[in-house]
Amino acid sequence: MNGAAPLALKVNGATHVVCASADTPLLYLLRNDLALNGPKFGCGLGECGACTVLLDGMPTRACVTTAKVALGHEITTLEGLGTRAALHPVQQAFIDEQAAQCGYCLSGMIMTTKALLERDPHPSVETICRELSRNLCRCGTHVEIVRAVQRAAELLATQKPVQETADKEARA
Amino acid sequence: MTGPDFSVDRRAASPSRKQLYDAQSVLIVMRPPQAPVQPAAGQPGSRSSFVPTDADMFLAVRDDGSVIAFNGHVDLGTGIGTALAQIVAEELDVPLTRVSIVLGHTNETPNQGPTIASATLQITAVPLRHAAAQARQWLLEQAAMRLGVNVEKLDVRDGIVFERDDANASGSAKRIAYGELIAGQRIELQLTTDAALKDPAAYNIVGKRAPRVDIPAKATGELSFVHDVRVPGMLHGRVVRPPYAGIAQGNFIGNSLLRVDEESIRDMAGIVKVVVIRDFVGIVAEREEIAQQAAKRLDVQWKTTEALPPLDTSEEVEAALRANPAKRRELLIDGDVDAVLSRDPTRTLNRTYVWPFQMHASIGPSCAVADYRDGALKVWSGTQNPHSLRADLALLMGMNEAHIEIVRMDAAGCYGRNCADDVAADAALLSRAAGAPVRVQLSREDEHAWEPKGAAQLMDVRGALSAEGELAAYDFATRYPSNDAPTLALLLTGTLSGEPQVFEMGDRTAVPPYDYEAMRVVCDDTPPIVRASWLRGVSALPNTFAHESFIDELAVEAGADPVEFRLKHLRDPRAADLVKAVAERAGWQPRVREATDANTEAHEQSDQGDIARGRGIAYARYVHSKFPGFGAAWCAWVADVEVNRRSGELAVTRVVVGQDNGTTINPDGVRHQIHGNVIQATSRALKERVTFGGNAVTSQEWGAYPILTFREVPVIDVVMMPRHGEPPMGAGESASLPGAAAIANALYDATGVRFRRPPFTPETIRAALADAQAEKAAARRKKRWRLGFLGAFAAGAAGWLGALSLAPSALAPITPPLASAFAPELIARGKVLASLGNCAVCHTAKNGVPNAGGKPLETPFGTVYSTNITPDAQTGIGAWSLEAFVRAMREGISRDGHRLYPAFPYTSFKNTSDDDLNALYAYLMSQTPVRFRPPETKLPFPFSARPLMAAWNGLFLGRNTFTASATQSAQWNRGAYLVNGLGHCSACHTPRNAFGAEKSGAAFIGGGSAEGWEAPALSSLSNAPVPWTEDELFRYLRFGHAPLHGVAAGPMAPVVADLAALPDSDIRAMATYLASLAPVEPNVDVAAMARQYEAASTINGAPSSVGARLFDGACAACHHTGSGPQLFGAHPSLALNTNLHGATPDNLIRVILDGIGSPARPELGTMPAYRDSFNDAQVAELVSYLRQQFAGGKPAWQNVAASVARIRATASAE
Repeated sequence: MNGAAPLALKVNGATHVVCASADTPLLYLLRNDLALNGPKFGCGLGECGACTVLLDGMPTRACVTTAKVALGHEITTLEGLGTRAALHPVQQAFIDEQAAQCGYCLSGMIMTTKALLERDPHPSVETICRELSRNLCRCGTHVEIVRAVQRAAELLATQKPVQETADKEARA
Repeated sequence: MTGPDFSVDRRAASPSRKQLYDAQSVLIVMRPPQAPVQPAAGQPGSRSSFVPTDADMFLAVRDDGSVIAFNGHVDLGTGIGTALAQIVAEELDVPLTRVSIVLGHTNETPNQGPTIASATLQITAVPLRHAAAQARQWLLEQAAMRLGVNVEKLDVRDGIVFERDDANASGSAKRIAYGELIAGQRIELQLTTDAALKDPAAYNIVGKRAPRVDIPAKATGELSFVHDVRVPGMLHGRVVRPPYAGIAQGNFIGNSLLRVDEESIRDMAGIVKVVVIRDFVGIVAEREEIAQQAAKRLDVQWKTTEALPPLDTSEEVEAALRANPAKRRELLIDGDVDAVLSRDPTRTLNRTYVWPFQMHASIGPSCAVADYRDGALKVWSGTQNPHSLRADLALLMGMNEAHIEIVRMDAAGCYGRNCADDVAADAALLSRAAGAPVRVQLSREDEHAWEPKGAAQLMDVRGALSAEGELAAYDFATRYPSNDAPTLALLLTGTLSGEPQVFEMGDRTAVPPYDYEAMRVVCDDTPPIVRASWLRGVSALPNTFAHESFIDELAVEAGADPVEFRLKHLRDPRAADLVKAVAERAGWQPRVREATDANTEAHEQSDQGDIARGRGIAYARYVHSKFPGFGAAWCAWVADVEVNRRSGELAVTRVVVGQDNGTTINPDGVRHQIHGNVIQATSRALKERVTFGGNAVTSQEWGAYPILTFREVPVIDVVMMPRHGEPPMGAGESASLPGAAAIANALYDATGVRFRRPPFTPETIRAALADAQAEKAAARRKKRWRLGFLGAFAAGAAGWLGALSLAPSALAPITPPLASAFAPELIARGKVLASLGNCAVCHTAKNGVPNAGGKPLETPFGTVYSTNITPDAQTGIGAWSLEAFVRAMREGISRDGHRLYPAFPYTSFKNTSDDDLNALYAYLMSQTPVRFRPPETKLPFPFSARPLMAAWNGLFLGRNTFTASATQSAQWNRGAYLVNGLGHCSACHTPRNAFGAEKSGAAFIGGGSAEGWEAPALSSLSNAPVPWTEDELFRYLRFGHAPLHGVAAGPMAPVVADLAALPDSDIRAMATYLASLAPVEPNVDVAAMARQYEAASTINGAPSSVGARLFDGACAACHHTGSGPQLFGAHPSLALNTNLHGATPDNLIRVILDGIGSPARPELGTMPAYRDSFNDAQVAELVSYLRQQFAGGKPAWQNVAASVARIRATASAE
């Protein structure tokens, strides 16, 4: 491919410069250039959701999002949520509920959930199923995943006041 | 390589078998190296006789108290690694957290055959359990010596041996840890099976919930999957598969390649190697996206191959199965079936059940990394059978197995054999050819098309009741096309021939569980029809579908309740217990119904309107391996369904599912497997069927092969039978078996109709229910809109030639002026004007330097290449004076006097003011000159006669001349100037006459074409469902997205991108002018109109046509109407999209084939291209569905498939 140029991507809070064509799918840059494992290649067509990352907090299918589209936006991957030592509540909830069989769709499920709960902290089961309806899972982990989203909502609700207090203290 | 290298070993790895073997302070349990167990005749598995030099290790206990256990099977996402750790921890009495499990790695683990048949816990865990018991026994004996206590008095807790009676005496010395017993010694035990096993009654760990060991890593993005393996110096590979997608038998296999033209990708930077070995074609590149692009672009020519039999319908699948040559195996003959069947023909039923081809449908397409160097090969793979893969690779590469190492990594769940082995072989070939490690990632299309399918299956059943209503006879024949799927590269390279092998795999659960007086069960083994392998519940699931549907029919014949009838005839008491428990949990009420026709009024009382509800039961025990095989878990379902008799839509609302799997190792793991089986089996029963067309699989993405989604998941209620202490039984697939039959029986309960051919899609249900009328759209004829370009130009042209006495003169060349000759403000203004005129859009070739020309512009008269308008004196406009430039812009005459074609819109540009032309000239002349001579435009005669253009100009140049209107506002006048001058909107949006000139009068801006796209009318002729207001026009031109109309795509996207240079005031002026061309009636509420259109096109219920399913699976994630996720970017409402309301489907087809790779504004997001994922028929189905669903009742487009074929033949616009 011609036209490789330095591209500055804002990923998980840091800016990374990669050299590639601006038409390159964001997914390849995240995986191959930045060695991030969270977003997975699933279909290359935006159908299955395995590659979901957040752009300014909105879920996007990284396999069909070109670098050009992503430039200038804050990109968040699974790795940007938390680590094993400091799990994000949504990750914690998915582990608590054992919401994975093979786990290939897991990152996309977690990222979509993260965005949903930002927008709707207490979603109904119907809302959860609607929001995740285009994230495909072959193993049939749906029951555990829905529970994980509900648990994540609970964890966030209990942690939020703590976080707000901490923020207030930080400001003070 | 632009990316950094990352080592594969990011997690703390267990010590290797070799290290443990050589270590001090370790207890190991091992077995001498041995030849692998050969699979039975007709069964899958490796024929390798390779004997490793190293002993097989099963267990190691180290002096830190940690335990490492080895198993040759792999974890396919079922949590088997956790369950095995529990077994070892239990038998050794150590905490679960101290046990790590090594799975599948060929250099580490014993060869225990492929991970199939849910046999890991039942079979391959056994030696591990013995090894743990043996280690514990040795440790206890050691402790007894050290502590001076009789071994009978010792016990172990958490890896610490203590004297039982002394347990409460704190500080007692009579205790010692495993680690201490091992420290300083090397203990080697040969595996035996005589150590006493722990009494299950004493279990603390087995049978208790244990969290899966692999989930935290997967939830945080740590290295787990083969897809995430990165090794230093790794390159990226892609394969180009033959067109006979998904077919792997026949003499054309490996013999179909004609030619690979490497020139077709010569211009791509970063290609390392093109590898061609007979029908194997692969590309290695430095970067993944380059490999992917190159695989699409590489010109590969293939022979046409022999056709598959038709497999579109269930009846065709049945015909193909019957036509396949078969060898019959008699599995069970008990009594004289024929005699019993002939006793009373009125009590005899004759039934045929047909199972469709289905897919494993892994969410992650297969991937592998191979590193071939110095005669050794290391492969990271997600294979199900690492040791078989090693043998395959040895054969493929001509290597000794001793030099091949397979590192098994996690992969996407597949529940059978997908393309994991294929891609490992691809990577091995490419790594050897490239001399570097190569990662190969299959595309979604590769995986869908080529994964060995779950085979179709045909079950013929004859059965009879006795006069007393007892089970009299059962005559069962199952026909299963083979599932030997040799690793693809072996076939493509010609290492193995395409001669089909016949396996004996159709016999799983072929014998029904009921006590028939006479029984005959036979299996017809037939060669493959398409490439197939085992898929969850292999052959047992379809066999069970037949057994359990049939027994339900017999129950009805007998006038008995289906549960009671089963219980009466089940031979196995554990089965009966299970059925009772499940029926009880479900609240089963005896239901006796008479055998009725479909449409009597004898339906259930609970029916409400179109919705019918029903309940069905089915039971099965999965029997795996070669007949008679081994029984795995017992399972029963009670399924509740709701079916809409009018639409045919079926919902499985609740499933009570019970399982008896003996001792449960990890209740959570088993429960999750049951959930997974229920959901997957429901998906298979309701939705899944591989489609074929011509010579290939045509289900190549999720629209063409939909699987169950969150909104379709039933409520699942699990009943786990308490069988602690009984041998553990495989739980990986048993729960899938009864699913389809339970659903079909529930469907019968609801409707009175038997369904014997899954999947139970709305169409099949609707068709079967005679009272459901399929909607037939009246075939309304609509004259296709065509551009009326005629060849008549030639006829009339001759007469005009006489008028051409005066050819324009050349204007004197000038020395290119310096950029400094122009005022910076002038240049800056000119730059904006160049954006308004979109100069660079046409004057830049793909990947070319801006304004250096060379872009091919397709016109009805031939291809016109744009010219170089950088100020290069020789190839560009450097020698052009202002006078020459103005003449070109207004009269279409080049500096040298030759006439330009009106593909260059001088007919609009002529309206530009002197001032603006001056500024534009300044800008163009101040660019960096680029020496580039674009291809010459060569139109066929008579259009090649450029002087003819004088006559043309005489006729048409005067049209659409803009003059300011005194009665309009300044803003309107400004807009008109911009639109009709440099903006040259009419060049695309006005139809052209036979001479290629814009029409005038009412046709002005009434819809034209550009680069093969329809440029919609901006006048009152607009097809837009909602009228364009000034505000919508402004948003569209400013942001590339008008909420009530859609996004700028195709050739309009770069136009909007260019307009970003203009101030809001100019965009507003253009909007004001354009809005005045099609004024909106004052009372019209456009937002309300839009809402009406959207409401009218709302999708209710499940997709019930091919086109609807394609939309649902492929498009609806973004283009849903409130039924899906909120995603980044613009997601235009299709109900409001002009393209769906247009006279032709061309724009829609183009956007589906080629997507929107370069949106007008990045924040609108991109749309993928489906050119390589859908065939013409699928695009046509989708387009026709979109028209019907979203175009507010507009008549169907005609000959859509032909339009798709025509548009596909044109090059991608990208």
